[in-house]
Amino acid sequence: MPTYLLFDVGSTYTKGCIVDTQKDEILAIANDLTTASIDIAIGIENVKRKMAPVLSKISIDQTLVCSSAKGGLKMIAVGLVPDLTLKAATLACYSAGAKVIGSYSFELNQSELKEIENAQCDILLLSGGTDGGNYEVVIHNAKMIASLAPKFPVIYAGNKSCQDEIVSLFRKANVDCVCCENVMPTYGILQVDQCRELIRELFLRTIVKAKGLSELSSIIDDIVLPTPMSVMEALKLLSKGTSTEIGIGDLMAIDIGGATTDVYSMNAHFVLKDNIGYKGLREPLDKRSVEGDLGVRFSAHNVADLKKDEPEYDHGMRDYLQQIQDNIHCDIDPDKDSVLAAWCTNIATQRHAGRLETSYSPMGVGYYQSGKDLRDVSVMVGIGGPLLHSKDPLSILEMTLSDPNHPEILLPDKLEYYLDSNYVVSCLGLLASRHPDTVVRLLKRNMEKII
Amino acid sequence: MEKSTVVIGVIGADVHAVGNRIIEFALDHAGFNVVNLGVMVSQKEFVDAAIETNAKAIFVSSLYGQGELDCRGFGDYCKEAGLNNVLLYVGGNLVIGKSDFEPVKEKYITMGFDRVYPPGSDINQGIEDLKHDLEIMD
Ligand code: B12
Repeated sequence: MPTYLLFDVGSTYTKGCIVDTQKDEILAIANDLTTASIDIAIGIENVKRKMAPVLSKISIDQTLVCSSAKGGLKMIAVGLVPDLTLKAATLACYSAGAKVIGSYSFELNQSELKEIENAQCDILLLSGGTDGGNYEVVIHNAKMIASLAPKFPVIYAGNKSCQDEIVSLFRKANVDCVCCENVMPTYGILQVDQCRELIRELFLRTIVKAKGLSELSSIIDDIVLPTPMSVMEALKLLSKGTSTEIGIGDLMAIDIGGATTDVYSMNAHFVLKDNIGYKGLREPLDKRSVEGDLGVRFSAHNVADLKKDEPEYDHGMRDYLQQIQDNIHCDIDPDKDSVLAAWCTNIATQRHAGRLETSYSPMGVGYYQSGKDLRDVSVMVGIGGPLLHSKDPLSILEMTLSDPNHPEILLPDKLEYYLDSNYVVSCLGLLASRHPDTVVRLLKRNMEKII
Repeated sequence: MEKSTVVIGVIGADVHAVGNRIIEFALDHAGFNVVNLGVMVSQKEFVDAAIETNAKAIFVSSLYGQGELDCRGFGDYCKEAGLNNVLLYVGGNLVIGKSDFEPVKEKYITMGFDRVYPPGSDINQGIEDLKHDLEIMD
């Protein structure tokens, strides 16, 4: 059972830890503040220096890294109907740890094509049509995309009936195109596993090179995952456990950043209470959503705009927002940051959760569910800098609870709160497939309960 | 030959589910690929599903007496969404009380439906008509 050196690079902090999988122990943990302008290799060296006392005594068998460097994995999703294949494609991107920087439905037009050309995405995911369903639109879109002669690879995950035609079309245009199962093979059914795996492979193959991470290959053995995917793998294990090490059950987690907020929910089963009907796409049991407009720095203004009517939106807050706008590295006001983080949590979790929709008619009221019912989830995990640095993380995480004024939003009624206070979640996710038992045990030990 | 897809569902706030299941069974048995949206289906759901699945027909059911309200604008919506060649059938309890069927049928035809069925219609009639309209030979 080997010893691993694990890194999470590319965000504000470079995080590192040493894990002994024989003893199930974390031998060392260290962080280093890394500004984006500094080389990733320097961050790694700094972290290693901090761990030197331990490193000098042991031998490392493998070094693994997850990365969100240079803005993370940036994808564009193209689908047919916004609520169906486009949504399925978007969920597939999120589940692979990507950021969706553009999403397009129906037939692409020239101005959308221009946007795609200028967007500088890492991978484009093309979907559309159920198997045997619509093919005109997705073929049109494939031709449009091929006409760009794009440098980025394209994943085709649409109607299988026109897969051959689409592959040969891209091949003729010299576009790097790979295929996988349709993300929505039949109406309402989401199928993202193959697509997710393919995104991960492409991330390794092309992205790592393009993002200048290949120079690291001398000091690391494998760049394994995009950071959010590593986080997801860790949270999945923490929730479900393994056959020998039990998990802690259904959970939610949130990672609030400067520009974006990620929300995770891990459920063992699909919940549909009281035999009511379900509408729309069945969302994944392990779901990640990314809110590109919510965060405590770059997106602070936008968050505050959405909360204009709250009492905390006062003079002081407006001043603070102005300071942030003038200088993104301005002095931090911890109280105000906590308010902003609480707002992010409130909005992001509400968007993540499902809804109990009401249908009124002269004949009475009917109900159906769309999205995930998270009312019975009992654990909330806080990860990422702003939460861990806050003086009052509880007040932030509590914003996840269901709002009595909005019982239709299916958020938890009661929660226990935990913090990833040692910054281990993202690193430990790297060991998910190799040492799942160790990961579950270490995660359970390292989550700090807050009350 | 590839199976033709039919989207079915009960429109509006209508929860009558029994007929819907029978229709699914009958269409499936007759060799169609059925996308059943169940009960309480909005116009948008019918249209979205028909686009993605390349449906040849939509079977709308309304049992609770509000069909006229729920179906208003359905044909136009389909046209807006580019579903020009999709057959639109409607059936169930479209007549309220004991009024005549003919004027009701007229209303649904102006709403864009291709075929309109009176209460108590046999679904097999609908299937026969569908095969005829799609030129499917037995
Ligand atoms: C069971 C039932 C209920 C159950 C439904 C349970 C469930 N989840 O399915 C409950 C108790 C919930 C219910 C509630 C109501 N009901 Co009710 N219900 C019935 C009842 C007794 C049977 C319906 C049934 O299952 N029929 C059997 C199936 C197989 O037949 P079907 O639904 O008609 O479908 C067949 C055909 O119509 C045809 N077909 C249907 N659609 C289409 C489409 C196409 C394209 C084609 C070709 C054919 C086709 O094929 C189907 C299969 O063979 C009928 C009376 C009756 N005997 O029909 C009243 C009836 C439908 N209900 C009625 C009413 C008024 C109501 C309520 C408004 C009562 C109230 N005031 O609360 C509510 C409405 C609730 C709502 N939001 O929908 C009225 C409707 C009156 C009208 N349309 O003018 C009826 C006709 C009773 C009556 N005579 O007054 N009901």
